[in-house]
Amino acid sequence: MSAPTDISPTTEPRSLAFKAGGMKRTAGEAMVWFSSMGLALGLLMVVGLLGVIVVNGFSVFWPQRIVELRLKEDSGARIRGSEYLAGEIRRVQTNTGSTIAEGGPTMERQLFIGNRDAYGLGFRFVKETDIQGETHPEDLLIIERMEYGDAIGRPLRLLAEDGRTILPGDPAFQSEMETTNRTVNRRRRAIDRIERVRIGNINLKMESLGFARKAAGEVNPAEIARIDAEKAALQADYEVLAKQARELRALQQTGKLFYRLPTGEEREMPMGQMVGFYFPNQLGLFKRMSLTLHNIWVFLVESPREANTEGGAFPAIFGTFVMTLLMSIAVTPFGVLAAIYLREYAKQGVFVRSVRIAVNNLAGVPSIVFGVFGLGFFVYFVGGTIDSLFFAQRLPTPTFGTGGILWVALTLALMTVPVVIVATEEAVASVPRGMREGSLACGASKWQTIQRIVLPAAVPGIITGLILAMARGAGEVAPLMLVGVVKLAPTLPLDATFPFFHLDRKFMHLGFHIYDLGFQSPDSEAAKPMVFATTLLLILLVVVLNLAAILLRERLRRKFASGAF
Amino acid sequence: MAGGTTDPKRFQASKATLLMDAFMTHFIKVGGALVIVTVFGIFVFILSQIVPLFRGARVHEKTSVPTPPGDYAVMGADEWTELPFLLRGDGTFVFVDIAAGGAASEERPAPLGEKTVTAIGYRPQQGSVTFGTADGGFVVGKVKYTGDFSSGQRRVRHSFDWIPFQETALPGVPVTEIASGETDSAKLIATVQQSQEGQTHLSVSRVERKKSLIGSGQWKVANAYDLSAFLTAPPRKILVTSSADAVIALLENGDVEYFFLTSGGFELRQKFRPFGDVGDGRVASMDFLLGDVSLVFTSPQGNNRVFSLFPKPGETVRTFGQTKEFPPLSAGAAFFSQSLRNKSFLLGAGRRASLRHGTTEVIRWETDLPFDVRMAVLGGKYESMLFLDNRDRLHVYGLEDPHPETSLPGLFGRIWYEGATEPKYEWQSTGGSDEFEPKLSLVPLLVGTLKGTLYAMIFAVPIALLAALYTSQFLHPDYRGVIKPTMEIMASLPSVVLGFLAALWLAPLIETRVPSILAVSILLPAGAYFFGWLWSGLPVNLRRRVAPGCEFLAFLPLLVLLVWAGWTLGPVLEQWFFYVTDPVSGEKVADFRRWWPHATGTNFEQRNSLVVGFMMGFAVIPIIFTITEDALSNVPATLRSGSLALGASRWQTALHIVLPTASAGIFSALMIGLGRAVGETMIVVMATGNTPLTEWNIFSGMRTLSANIAVELPEAPHHGTLYRSLFLGAMVLFVLTFFVNTLAEILRQHLREKYKTV
Repeated sequence: MSAPTDISPTTEPRSLAFKAGGMKRTAGEAMVWFSSMGLALGLLMVVGLLGVIVVNGFSVFWPQRIVELRLKEDSGARIRGSEYLAGEIRRVQTNTGSTIAEGGPTMERQLFIGNRDAYGLGFRFVKETDIQGETHPEDLLIIERMEYGDAIGRPLRLLAEDGRTILPGDPAFQSEMETTNRTVNRRRRAIDRIERVRIGNINLKMESLGFARKAAGEVNPAEIARIDAEKAALQADYEVLAKQARELRALQQTGKLFYRLPTGEEREMPMGQMVGFYFPNQLGLFKRMSLTLHNIWVFLVESPREANTEGGAFPAIFGTFVMTLLMSIAVTPFGVLAAIYLREYAKQGVFVRSVRIAVNNLAGVPSIVFGVFGLGFFVYFVGGTIDSLFFAQRLPTPTFGTGGILWVALTLALMTVPVVIVATEEAVASVPRGMREGSLACGASKWQTIQRIVLPAAVPGIITGLILAMARGAGEVAPLMLVGVVKLAPTLPLDATFPFFHLDRKFMHLGFHIYDLGFQSPDSEAAKPMVFATTLLLILLVVVLNLAAILLRERLRRKFASGAF
Repeated sequence: MAGGTTDPKRFQASKATLLMDAFMTHFIKVGGALVIVTVFGIFVFILSQIVPLFRGARVHEKTSVPTPPGDYAVMGADEWTELPFLLRGDGTFVFVDIAAGGAASEERPAPLGEKTVTAIGYRPQQGSVTFGTADGGFVVGKVKYTGDFSSGQRRVRHSFDWIPFQETALPGVPVTEIASGETDSAKLIATVQQSQEGQTHLSVSRVERKKSLIGSGQWKVANAYDLSAFLTAPPRKILVTSSADAVIALLENGDVEYFFLTSGGFELRQKFRPFGDVGDGRVASMDFLLGDVSLVFTSPQGNNRVFSLFPKPGETVRTFGQTKEFPPLSAGAAFFSQSLRNKSFLLGAGRRASLRHGTTEVIRWETDLPFDVRMAVLGGKYESMLFLDNRDRLHVYGLEDPHPETSLPGLFGRIWYEGATEPKYEWQSTGGSDEFEPKLSLVPLLVGTLKGTLYAMIFAVPIALLAALYTSQFLHPDYRGVIKPTMEIMASLPSVVLGFLAALWLAPLIETRVPSILAVSILLPAGAYFFGWLWSGLPVNLRRRVAPGCEFLAFLPLLVLLVWAGWTLGPVLEQWFFYVTDPVSGEKVADFRRWWPHATGTNFEQRNSLVVGFMMGFAVIPIIFTITEDALSNVPATLRSGSLALGASRWQTALHIVLPTASAGIFSALMIGLGRAVGETMIVVMATGNTPLTEWNIFSGMRTLSANIAVELPEAPHHGTLYRSLFLGAMVLFVLTFFVNTLAEILRQHLREKYKTV
């Protein structure tokens, strides 16, 4: 039932205004304004919150300029007495705990100063009253490293891998840095491929040989000899690979960069440590934008480093995607089946009506309850049974008797099945009666009518429900914590190792990534950018899914305006 | 076929179609019903997990074996109750092998020699046995059991560990009562001695072992104390605590004296009468509960009380006070055995045996056995019980009571835990020491849930209702297509995002700006009303500039202005009102965070209910908004047209016609919003300190049922007490939200029926 349009209550009754001679107040106009505050506030909240996320999320990728501050003699922000301090300004806030005598609050800046290996802490608060001067020197360099976060400093000289020394004044300095950086990055990927993929495969084979050996027992000497021979061959392969990796690692250490910190100390780092570099104060708008795009790309496709605070979020994105997919596969047939049963086959009466109410209300049951159920039923009961039947040789290490992506998908499917049932029911009910009767009159059976007439007409509605279910499932965290999400999964649930789809594996999830980074991370300040970036991604995902569902539903409403929505 | 005639089969459906139809009919019926049944199976499954919490103990007789007849003083057992021992009054051990049908072997401790045993003391926890002799000395030692698994099956063996004979401070005077307590380095042996002149002495010997570089030396009596001067009557029974620093003596006249060992010797710390109000006040039995902090007393009439050590109001030292009273037995306890796993104890007299839990004050099991019980032992693993009847038969009973700590009072009642000064609702599932007792009251969690919900609703309800009222009644129809999806987007924000923003963005922001929040929350409604009042007083041609239904757009800049004004006004308010004088420097410090505890005596935490309420608003507002808006705009147009036609203003129509008509729908919206707030997990986990508190202070945190599950379930052992208690929490949440939602749904259906008739 849409809002009535036959009479417009929104136009102010003219007669009253007329009677009042244009000056007397219409009763309750002030209250109308008052109630408009509610809506305005609600809108402001949505827009504000999304704004906070978008601004903070995008600013993570945007390379900021670096400021060099000259501090006063007695400033508490000085590091080892140094007059200069350089970093990105992350926040400007009022100084807490100011006294009345000081004449009210003063401001302070939070500076990201990097160089955690040298300074210990990556951040520093500087009182604005302590600042004597600030500049944006062009020669400051930001180096993204494998460890200790970013380094900020002035380059002194580069020792290339072939032994040449290049000074920053040399026009070839920048290009030489870029070449070396590309080389070490390529080499790092090669090492990773060797260690993770090839040696990982050998480990897997070793493990299954171990089980085979256990199964053979002591009775089958031929079998044991064969297994041992195979093991020895694998071990030899492993030695070769390990040696390769070692050699590559040694090469990573040959190139070196010497640089000076803003506070004066000189340091050196092997080029193998470097992930990327840029001169933040030399960047033009175009370079800055292309660097932003590059950062976003890295975030989307790379694995996390340093307790998830650096690098990308690819495993979490992939895990969320696979889980949502599995959940949809599980939830759709069952939801549609139940809905068709309720609408088309069950005898409509008090019982079905109360079942319908109950199913509807199940959508309002807290998600954590489903998590509790998933842990007790799927993980411990079903998983435990599967383990004792099929994976007995691995016990007491559980295979399915512990959290895994399958259990998460099933738990979420159970949680979202009411959403699909309700949406499908509505869609099925809104198919005009005439269409059904026409089909039946033509001699089609009941199933044929459902299959050829009702279901096709209801598909958009079903998809709406499914999208809503996916959005809910993708954004949910509480039940996942109980049934199979981890902060760092070494492997993906879908990869090139047999049987390719690993239903028993634990996985990473965007929502849990946010929770873990924001709350379990040892340095939450350093983790903040990553959390905001992940939040932005999750919000985008969920909002896009929801908008799609809402728009689809609006279109449907218009199409079946006479239906029972 | 000749033209004109029709084939009669033409109108028949094909077999395949019919078959398919029949199959699908059954498939959908069975499948659909199955899905629905499965979904409700959740309820049944969770229920099945929590039922054991409320079950009493289940006991069944496993076997019984004959024992050699004798005058036994003590019965003890290994933790599997497979090789129990009976200790004769003369100091001879009789080990009974249950599996071998009661085959008995006798053994007399070597250090006893030819001495006459006149008193025996036994502490089941350490297995330590103390003999007092007729010549005024004592022998202390241990019965040790080891399980031998080498043959694939468990075989229990015993061994002894004795300390050579020592003399008390009164050699030659026979010992009539003896008790001991020990730490690693010292043993405290209390003895009651009856001299020939009829005098009663209570003396305590402290036996120590000198530690040297080479190893441990011999045990020697290091100190002796005479406590006889304190006695007002002869002692009936004495106990020594396991920390070897206190002696408790039960006197014949019903007094109990509590002596405590300080550096200057023993002092009489307390004297009390457990049954001063019952009969002649005498006491039939006195025993420790696990941990030696509580004493279980029975009176000759059968009254059963527990006294625990706790600091009385205004005192610093802990003294005994009554904490529990159990339903009476028929007579004073003739046998008693404490559990070595929990605070349960087994006691009884005659045929009656009763298993009680000392913390929850609940009788786990009570029955009349088919025999008179002489002695009883509660197995060390709390899985078995032994009874020796008066015909020298030893009965082995299996005991199945996995969750003695949880019963209705344990989970929902006020419990007086050991060491606490009063009964409390408390949730603390894990603790540091082995003797820690889990405290599993759901009440603090329920209070936390309601607190979070309350603050969320206080914030969300006005905004959501006003917004819904405006959207449905006054908003220009052109905007409706944008406004509703925007508000619905708010509902889809994942709660982990809200929680993260609450904790890492909002909480630090609000922490220093509480006065600003205060200013905004006063300024905003007042400013809105005042502006509306001013505006409606303006001349018509000026008012025309804002089309009816677009007020909210015109209001937006004002809103931003008001929020900004309130935000900047906050620190000024703080300087005026919320300052404390620094005790060190004497300066006035304007800081609400310090002013609040100073002024109210309650805590100020960064992650508090205000933050949670605000962020939970994001989750609740859109739900209430959507449903209320539906209910309001579904009010039949004829009603509104009638009202407007009669000259009521649009506000009067909305307030007096539309709102009352839709009240049931609005109520159901509030209910559904409430359900959402009750079950919200991630926001609460992240934005509160997760401390289980039972207070309503807006600037402190809380722990809700849902957050509790999220925090503790991953660590809870499968099928343990905590695991099941958390399932119970989930059940409460399930039932609560399901009930609230169903109520709301029924109301809504009712409302729909009503509209049909209008």
